Amino acid sequence: MAVSILFRSVKTNLAKVNFQKHVQCVHTGCSLLGADKALVVKLRKATGYTFINCKKALEKFNNDIEQAESWLHEQAQMEGWSKAHKLEGRRAKEGLIGLLTQDNAAVMVEVNCETDFVARNEKFQQLVQDVTLATMAHHHSRQQSGYVKSMWSAEDLTKLTMVDGPLVADQLALTIGRLGENISVRRAVSFGIPANWHIGSYVHGAVMEISSMPMGRYGALVVFQGGPEGQAETMGKKLGQHIVGEAPITLGNIEDQSCGESETRLLPQTFLMDPRYTVGQYLRLQNAHVFDFMRYKCGESIAQEVE
Amino acid sequence: MTLFLLYDTRSQLQSRQTNLKSRCVPLKCAVPLTRRNFASEAKKVFSRDKPHVNIGTIGHVDHGKTTLTAAITKVLAEAGGACYKKYEDIDNAPEEKARGITINASHVEYTTSNRHYAHTDCPGHADYVKNMITGTAQLDGCILVVAATDGQMPQTREHLLLARQIGVEHVVVFVNKADAVEDKEMLELVELEIRELLSEFGYNSETTPVVVGSALCALENRQPDLGVDAILNLLQVVDEYIPLPKRELEKPFLLPVEGVHSIPGRGTVVTGTLERGTVKKGDECEFVGHNRSFKSVVTGVEMFHQSLERAEAGDNLGALVRGLKREDLRRGMVMCKPGSIQPHQKVKTQVYILSKEEGGRHKPFVTNFMPVMFSLTWDMVCRVQLPENKEMVMPGEDTSLTLTLRQPMVLENGQRFTLRDGNRTIGTGLVTEIMPTTQDDLHNWG
Repeated sequence: MAVSILFRSVKTNLAKVNFQKHVQCVHTGCSLLGADKALVVKLRKATGYTFINCKKALEKFNNDIEQAESWLHEQAQMEGWSKAHKLEGRRAKEGLIGLLTQDNAAVMVEVNCETDFVARNEKFQQLVQDVTLATMAHHHSRQQSGYVKSMWSAEDLTKLTMVDGPLVADQLALTIGRLGENISVRRAVSFGIPANWHIGSYVHGAVMEISSMPMGRYGALVVFQGGPEGQAETMGKKLGQHIVGEAPITLGNIEDQSCGESETRLLPQTFLMDPRYTVGQYLRLQNAHVFDFMRYKCGESIAQEVE
Repeated sequence: MTLFLLYDTRSQLQSRQTNLKSRCVPLKCAVPLTRRNFASEAKKVFSRDKPHVNIGTIGHVDHGKTTLTAAITKVLAEAGGACYKKYEDIDNAPEEKARGITINASHVEYTTSNRHYAHTDCPGHADYVKNMITGTAQLDGCILVVAATDGQMPQTREHLLLARQIGVEHVVVFVNKADAVEDKEMLELVELEIRELLSEFGYNSETTPVVVGSALCALENRQPDLGVDAILNLLQVVDEYIPLPKRELEKPFLLPVEGVHSIPGRGTVVTGTLERGTVKKGDECEFVGHNRSFKSVVTGVEMFHQSLERAEAGDNLGALVRGLKREDLRRGMVMCKPGSIQPHQKVKTQVYILSKEEGGRHKPFVTNFMPVMFSLTWDMVCRVQLPENKEMVMPGEDTSLTLTLRQPMVLENGQRFTLRDGNRTIGTGLVTEIMPTTQDDLHNWG
């Protein structure tokens, strides 16, 4: 008791002098009382698990930091699952759209969470990236050729396996446990195209913190053919921007007349990037054809379910 | 007869008030019985006897933000400074549920011995940024809640980042759930970690106060050292650490000119609402805007055709100015303390673009879009330039924009404005930086 009082008074004095010294003082000072304090801090810094769990783990394994860490990982998985069950059904309508184009294929995935704070978190973005990669890997593994478009529901997606092993569902539970919010892998779409076609893509409101994979609140994929030589990417991006901006629902016909502001068919809409033309006229000028497109807005499917 | 009638109505009134009173009791409105009077119960009048401060709670989910809010109202209700709100009342408040189109304002208020507080919970990052831009609920300070069992967690970081972004200068830390930690050394580790985090985000880690306690203990009336006392301590620290916002009256005066009149025999009078500061007869003033600038002296201040000794911010006034003709001045200029404000042509701004549901555009816009900018009493066409990493702006988004006006107008950091296109308001914003005008900007107007 007396030792701890002494210890505390010394520490408060030191705290006033310098913050950095304060940290060191705890590390060295604590060793008098029990070796685990410094280890708790170390373990927490390394893993990011809660203070109380780090402490528990070290007590359990008698300050063996490696065993403690692996136990923490197992524990996190279990806690994740129980948390995931507890939070199930809470409305998640924020989140991110992840998008990936590779060779002759493209995937777009929507992952939802409850608040946009979580959407800004690295761990969440990592999850979006992993799920997108997993979907892409699965798409490739099917070895289809020609034009393929497949839609994935939430159930399909959670059954997939990650590139490095675990199930998407497990990774999801782990992330839920870490971030404390309901998270759901909502839907995905994948396109596979023949060699001379192109896929254009655009992600709006992009956050790019952990990887080069574009993620944002809106995403669009557009499948087209033709266009000027070597400019497929810019053209695809322009079309993608138009689709994100004007939110067309159907493709329409190139001869269709526009019905003004409320037009929901892509081809008769006024082209966002060049309002002199409709999208159809623009495509004809560029000698290109659009076959299909897909637009995701984060949280839109939830809004529809509620209605 | 009249007397009798009077008596009659009064007794009716009284019986109605007793009804009201009995209805009020289950609400537990915490005005001590001795202070109760009938008028205040019929409709409580907000009294402005204490300075008002906006405060918010931030922190990771499940660390006890809402419990703390409930505990604060409970503790203060016992002292007569608040209405006790249960956890469920705050968490399930209709405002939180109906969030969508409207901007949610704070829904918990309480009074300490020195101040009156409006308390906001943390709804979402975008909402806060929107609040900051539109100016609905500016936060003067924050209480960062961290559970002693967990330490800082992912959302603690995100929330602190936000607090930085929306310009919250003062944060007070509350280490919650201290009753769930047996080992007191752990509390110190948590505190150390938070201080480290605070300095990482540019807050002063040494002077930021940290209060250790348990909101749950306060709610359940146990362990007063961690419960009630900690909450009272926290409130005292908040009172002391978070400074009062600067009042409008103390700033140099600014009068956006709404109208200019020529009064025969007296001279030129400008009218408008005093935005800030105070004006009295004999003050030197300067007129700025519309590519013109004049110095003059206020020779009289009038309100409702009566001369006024001193006009304060918020007053609707007319000011008689010396030596200027009506043609010299026009609506959209400002009358200000000489040298306190300058016209500018190019500014960096933070803008919220209204969604279609809020009455804005349904289409996005790109660089070179030309809306009309309205601020103070002027309006001017401006050209939009998007930041480098952005190619278009969708309705319902907040973004940074560089705006170049056709003519220099009075603009300063923190000034609010509205953007309109045709007959609809498309967004509202805030000036964040004044930029120098380049030669290109001047030529592009043709």
